[in-house]
Amino acid sequence: MKPILEMRGITKLYGKAAAVEGVNFDLMKGEVHAVLGENGAGKSTLTKMMAGVVQPTSGEILVEDSVINIKSPAEAVKIGIAMVFQETSLVPSMTVAQNLFLGNEKFFNRIRGVNITAQQFMQSLSFDVDPTQMVASLGAAKKQMVEIARAMLLDARVVVFDEPTATLTPEEKRHFFDLVETLKGHGVAVIFISHALEEALEISDRITILRDGKHVVTDKTENFDRDRIIQSMVGRELTEELYNNKKTVARPAGERILSIQNLRAAGVVRNNSLSVFKGQVTGIFGLVGSGRTETFKVVSGAIKRNYRNGGEVYLNGKSVRYLVPAPSVQDGVAYITEDRKVEGFFETMSIKANIFLGMLTKGKSARFWLKNSEMDQVGDTWVKSLQVRSVSQNAEVIELSGGNQQKVVIAKSLVQEPDLVIFDEPTRGVDVGAIAEIHEIINRLADEGKAVVVISSYLPEVMQLSDRLLVARQGKVVEEFSPIEATEEKLMYAAVH
Amino acid sequence: MKNLFSSLNFDQQTIVTILFAVLFVVFAFWLPGFTSTGNLLELVRSVSVLGILGLGMAIVVIGRGIDLSMIATLAVPASLVMTLAASGYHPAVAIGAGLLFAIATGILNGVLVAYAEIPALFTTLAVGIGVAGIGQSGMFEYDIVAWPPALDSIAWIGRGKIFGLPYSILAFGVAALAVHIFLKKTRLGFFIYALGDNLAAARISGIRVRPIIILQYVICAVIALFAGLVLAASAHSMDTRIFNLTWIYDVILVVVLGGIGLSGGRGGVMNVIVGTLLIGTIVNGMTILNVSYQGQNLVRGLVLLTALMIDSILNPRNEETAKQGDI
Repeated sequence: MKPILEMRGITKLYGKAAAVEGVNFDLMKGEVHAVLGENGAGKSTLTKMMAGVVQPTSGEILVEDSVINIKSPAEAVKIGIAMVFQETSLVPSMTVAQNLFLGNEKFFNRIRGVNITAQQFMQSLSFDVDPTQMVASLGAAKKQMVEIARAMLLDARVVVFDEPTATLTPEEKRHFFDLVETLKGHGVAVIFISHALEEALEISDRITILRDGKHVVTDKTENFDRDRIIQSMVGRELTEELYNNKKTVARPAGERILSIQNLRAAGVVRNNSLSVFKGQVTGIFGLVGSGRTETFKVVSGAIKRNYRNGGEVYLNGKSVRYLVPAPSVQDGVAYITEDRKVEGFFETMSIKANIFLGMLTKGKSARFWLKNSEMDQVGDTWVKSLQVRSVSQNAEVIELSGGNQQKVVIAKSLVQEPDLVIFDEPTRGVDVGAIAEIHEIINRLADEGKAVVVISSYLPEVMQLSDRLLVARQGKVVEEFSPIEATEEKLMYAAVH
Repeated sequence: MKNLFSSLNFDQQTIVTILFAVLFVVFAFWLPGFTSTGNLLELVRSVSVLGILGLGMAIVVIGRGIDLSMIATLAVPASLVMTLAASGYHPAVAIGAGLLFAIATGILNGVLVAYAEIPALFTTLAVGIGVAGIGQSGMFEYDIVAWPPALDSIAWIGRGKIFGLPYSILAFGVAALAVHIFLKKTRLGFFIYALGDNLAAARISGIRVRPIIILQYVICAVIALFAGLVLAASAHSMDTRIFNLTWIYDVILVVVLGGIGLSGGRGGVMNVIVGTLLIGTIVNGMTILNVSYQGQNLVRGLVLLTALMIDSILNPRNEETAKQGDI
């Protein structure tokens, strides 16, 4: 059988980092092909290149054996490749029929005619959706049907689903699987990106697994089972030397500094309860959407106040409710963001100014006048202690490498002398050399007796750093491991099930 | 384009300074009477109010906002001071009342921007219209409020001369120095740069960003009142219809042209001074050349557009931190 879509040696670089590196991929007509991998393995980037959302740095894409350059999503649709995103791209204030024909209306657009055509089309797909209904009033599953119908109306031959089941209830999921079957029946090739391994095992014909942007394996689904998938997803050789020293001794728990009870927030944290102790590193592992970040953003007050729906947070035994981050900083909480560019550093300022600013926000050192000598001294101390490397003394943070930027963001928080330090994905987008140094900083803090939280979706990282391992799934911590007994398989199993 | 600028290693401030120098020399050679003492003093006097306003605008723009209500807060509180003084109140009381009015306007702007999260562009436009409306709808008897003799004790801020220099330019100088010290030497000034650069990062670092946003609009309003008093003192009256003119665009022009990026966190007082000098020279030159009012507006429009274009090339928006409705 000839593939309808083929990718050869596809590479996508963001700066110097490869999101996808030399991946080969092929898709047969009428097959359901699942693409699996950990967060950041390159699944989304790979499919975005098919759909023309991003352009590959090198490599070629072939559609029915001819090399094609897909420059935009519109072009992809013309070729017959449609992508159904996690968030739907429908217009909520229009009816189903209007959405179906959006952008392809006739010059004289008769609503009744449109409704009838839409009705007939939906029936031919046996989709049970009323075309005159407003999209806003539809549930997640029906919205998905409309998206699929729109793709079919445009004669899509390849439909890409990015995490299609994430927002669906169990019954809706069943219905979605039926939809996929229907698509298959129409000869459409389906690509299915998912975190849920069972679903992939259930509905796909073939499975491709990516890891660190590289292709690991493609095989028929019947040759896979859970264990083989997980092993392919997490096994790593590349950074072996960095992560292979498994923890044998865990630091004992000190005083309880933070206790969260039945926290509900932002629609993704559901009845989360956990505790953090001084003098050790508490690792939080979970997939994206497990509410890890949101939980700790509530603790630090970084989340918008109306997103907090209930539950209690106790800091040093005292019930706290921070509406903005300022008071939590005063109380010794430091949240080091996962997205340093958006909410980490100040790009127009020098390294020293960034660090000094952290100091100025904390009560004791808050004074009216600034002293440049103090800024130099504080900056120098921290640049030295965290080994921030830059071309020049007064370099702006934006010019630094990812690892050094991260160190500046860390220094900006540590200068506030916090008691509870929350690292959210501390080594995301950080060069390998700096990873070890950042881990060193984290360990040093725990040794000094501070309470440290490390949130990470990178298994080897949490396993290596943590003295206590908490696994979050669907908005709450579901299991606790000691680092000595934990294995990657156990953690992954807890995070997915 | 960006490569061109950065490879030459010119920042906007340098470009504008050179442009000013070139224009000045050209005018000096070609325009009769341009270099006469009288004209130079007139140039300096005419730009000083604009410069003072530019300083206030600069603070807000560095904090990634904009204040379109400045002209209204220039005209109305200053007229209030004069009206109260004329009707027999002690000058200190009158000035205090004007100050309160200006501060209230600033707080209103700041609260709407910081807490209601309405984009600054629309907030300050609406507040400006509102303040002008309050002034015009009965606060003052006539559209033009005359400088009352009761206030002559402070009239020197717009009239007097020292060593041949008009006091108004000294007022600009003093305001520039004060704003410079505030921005560069105080913690709050530093915080304004921080939240203009990256509001989310400033918030997470533990800065209480909302009070500081309010503060920047309050300072801006107080500076506008100061500019209003200087203007009224030198012109012996205040025309409350001034809000209807396009002056606010000159203020923005000065700030943007000088190199304070609308994307926030960049620039300082030097940029305002340089921008003011260039605009002052252009306007003065056009007046000597007898360019019509319409023609002058055309030139201003073109210069403003060019400045905005250069700004967006030199200080591109950070797409990740930009919000919808950001100016």
